[in-house]
Amino acid sequence: MSGSPNALRRVLANPFAAIVIVALAWWIAVPLFKIEPRFLPPISVVFADGMSVWRDLAAGLWRTLLETVLGFLAGAILGIAFGVGFAYLRFLERAFFPIFVALQTVPVIAFGAIVVIWFGNTIMAKVVIALYLAFFPVAVNTLRGLETTDPQRIALMKSFGASGLQLFLKLALPTALPSIMIGLKLGISLSLAGAIVGEWFGDTVGLGVMLLQSLYFEQIPRVWVLIVACGALGTVLYGFLALIERRFVWWRPD
Amino acid sequence: MLDKRAEGASGPAHLQLVNVWKRFGEGERQTVAVRNVDLAIQPGEFVTLIGPSGCGKSTLFNMIAGLLPPDPDGSVVFKGQPQQDGALLGKIAFMPQRDLLFPWRTVLDNATLALEVEGMSKKAARQKAEALFPEFGLKGFEKHYPQQLSGGMRQRVALMRTFLFERDLILLDEPFGALDALTRSMMQRWLLDIWAKHKRTVLFITHDIDEAIFLGDKVVVMTARPGTIKCEETITLPRPRDASVVTTQEFMAIKRKLLAIVEEESMKTFAAAGAA
Amino acid sequence: MASRLSFLRSALPVAAALIGLLLLWQLGAMLFDVPTYILPRPGAIVATAIEKAGLLGSGLWITSVEAVLGFFVGTLIGLAAAVLMILAPPLEVALIPLVIVINSVPSIAFVPLVLIWFGLGIGSKVAIGALAVSFVVLLNALAGLKRPEADAINLMRSFGASRLGILWRLQLPAAMPSIVTGLRVGLARSTIAVIVAEMMGAYAGIGQIIYQSTAQVDYLTVWAAVFVASLGSLVLYGVLVAIDRKLVWWR
Repeated sequence: MSGSPNALRRVLANPFAAIVIVALAWWIAVPLFKIEPRFLPPISVVFADGMSVWRDLAAGLWRTLLETVLGFLAGAILGIAFGVGFAYLRFLERAFFPIFVALQTVPVIAFGAIVVIWFGNTIMAKVVIALYLAFFPVAVNTLRGLETTDPQRIALMKSFGASGLQLFLKLALPTALPSIMIGLKLGISLSLAGAIVGEWFGDTVGLGVMLLQSLYFEQIPRVWVLIVACGALGTVLYGFLALIERRFVWWRPD
Repeated sequence: MLDKRAEGASGPAHLQLVNVWKRFGEGERQTVAVRNVDLAIQPGEFVTLIGPSGCGKSTLFNMIAGLLPPDPDGSVVFKGQPQQDGALLGKIAFMPQRDLLFPWRTVLDNATLALEVEGMSKKAARQKAEALFPEFGLKGFEKHYPQQLSGGMRQRVALMRTFLFERDLILLDEPFGALDALTRSMMQRWLLDIWAKHKRTVLFITHDIDEAIFLGDKVVVMTARPGTIKCEETITLPRPRDASVVTTQEFMAIKRKLLAIVEEESMKTFAAAGAA
Repeated sequence: MASRLSFLRSALPVAAALIGLLLLWQLGAMLFDVPTYILPRPGAIVATAIEKAGLLGSGLWITSVEAVLGFFVGTLIGLAAAVLMILAPPLEVALIPLVIVINSVPSIAFVPLVLIWFGLGIGSKVAIGALAVSFVVLLNALAGLKRPEADAINLMRSFGASRLGILWRLQLPAAMPSIVTGLRVGLARSTIAVIVAEMMGAYAGIGQIIYQSTAQVDYLTVWAAVFVASLGSLVLYGVLVAIDRKLVWWR
């Protein structure tokens, strides 16, 4: 009773298995339930439409990936730096951290228009939006993670004569890493969303651009091609972080 | 045969285990957790059960609570009736090793949990529980949350929850295992007071021989895994017992005897672990 | 009294920092004579917000209604689905692949789809808001409902509790912290999704005001709209924090 359903559940929760299953369900369900193409076109139609624009699609994927990754990396580095700064400079934390938490709830994508004014229709504009979106969850989770460091363990390290840097590298940072990973995983999805929306404010290449075009021409199969492409990009980016986590940050806070 | 065993020397047993087995897994990988357990508990009796760690005490306990069905070889007989799978649920007051208090409920509402599950109104359940607070040494802590209490107090709340679930048989699984020695001996004497006043039947699991002798009318010793009952020792120390009883000759004699038996079983577990 | 003092003590540095930042911005813009289209002065933004209070207010009202409605619908769907999956595990096994796949797509990618399906009115905004919330709530609620350990469930069973009794008295309260986290992430996502949907196609709302002002090169109004939208989502966030305290009072 205990073994098989759990094993089955684990297999089904695997993203790759999930994709195959959902694709199969899509393939079977559309003719079976006579779903209107307005809602969900047959998977074959969507696939054919994707193949017909594969050049644009590949170029768009590459551009959006680049914007997302560059923005995410910059945002992550800045976020970790600010998180550490807040953790060690309490007066900064007390004055600015609540403002950060508040800024996190601001509908930042609305700034897209302004950022495009600053940087023009360059890749920079999208990178900055992706950066801005990734920054907050990383900074907040870095601080929260560092704050959970056990005072008794700090005392133990100090009794060994550890320096401030040793305390940080050997105790505080490893304690915070699982939490930082949570922030990074939140940040990467937000970066992707930021890059896509950033492209709407004026660009010619990218998944977001294609999404906007497909809306104007009401090409429903194309919209689905792009939803699948965005999902694939999101899964790959998230999966990459999850792999890094499993390899390097396998411990959990106690 | 079943009837004959159930009618023990001192009248009908409250709870009777007849040839109870529990095996886990299949074929080669099968392990026997509990083997051929026969045990009778009389109404109003305080029975303590000791054994080396990992001897299947908790498995036995879960079977008596109705959480785990025994293998079909034998049966659990409660008030003269053999119990089907799960039929014991809700008939026995069960207190697991950890207090398992709910952090979102006040002390008072934790105590009334079982009553609420039974369908009693919140108001009536609270009234009933409030009357018990002084006796359990928790007066004034009704509105506190479990996180605010010490280990001993949390354990008393868990005990109160068990007592309020008014069933004739109370199962206690190492309730004082996590407490410091001083608190533990205080809790033991206090538990005996409560027991004397409320007259319930108690089965108490422990790994502490002193505790088993001090509390019990009867001490049951289990063997190393697969667990079965090695011997039963009736404790005739006079009641009410106070702290000084543990230093009497009588107590020492019983302790020496039981210690030898438990030691022997512990060595077996140790040797088995070393060989594996 | 004591709590009011500690509130003051924590609010004071924040207020000081905020005022300092705004002053720095205002003075910097004046000193270096930064043109309005690059960075307007805070004073000018506030003045514009007051001047266009009617337009911005009605836009904010519509956006808030859409976001809150979407949030409620999405939360209800997410919670109901999680409870159903807990009560009927085969349902979870069957549906979890779909949940994982849909959840991996950024919710804003569905904006064109909901606009085509539900039109430019309020329906499409509520739909995208609900979509953005429901999956986060579902996944968090599912994880939370599974959190109680076997021992605690056994204790409830020994009291004779039914499946629903265990769900109501043990699993749901135990899941609350996790659900509330889901609500918080969901609210941030749904306000963003609603505003984005408004920018792409709507008759009214803050997103539409931002879109039109950008097209008309009226940057002061863009900034004022962003300012008002930020205030709005801060208020929503504050309400949610209060709900959080109410739902998870024991932490």
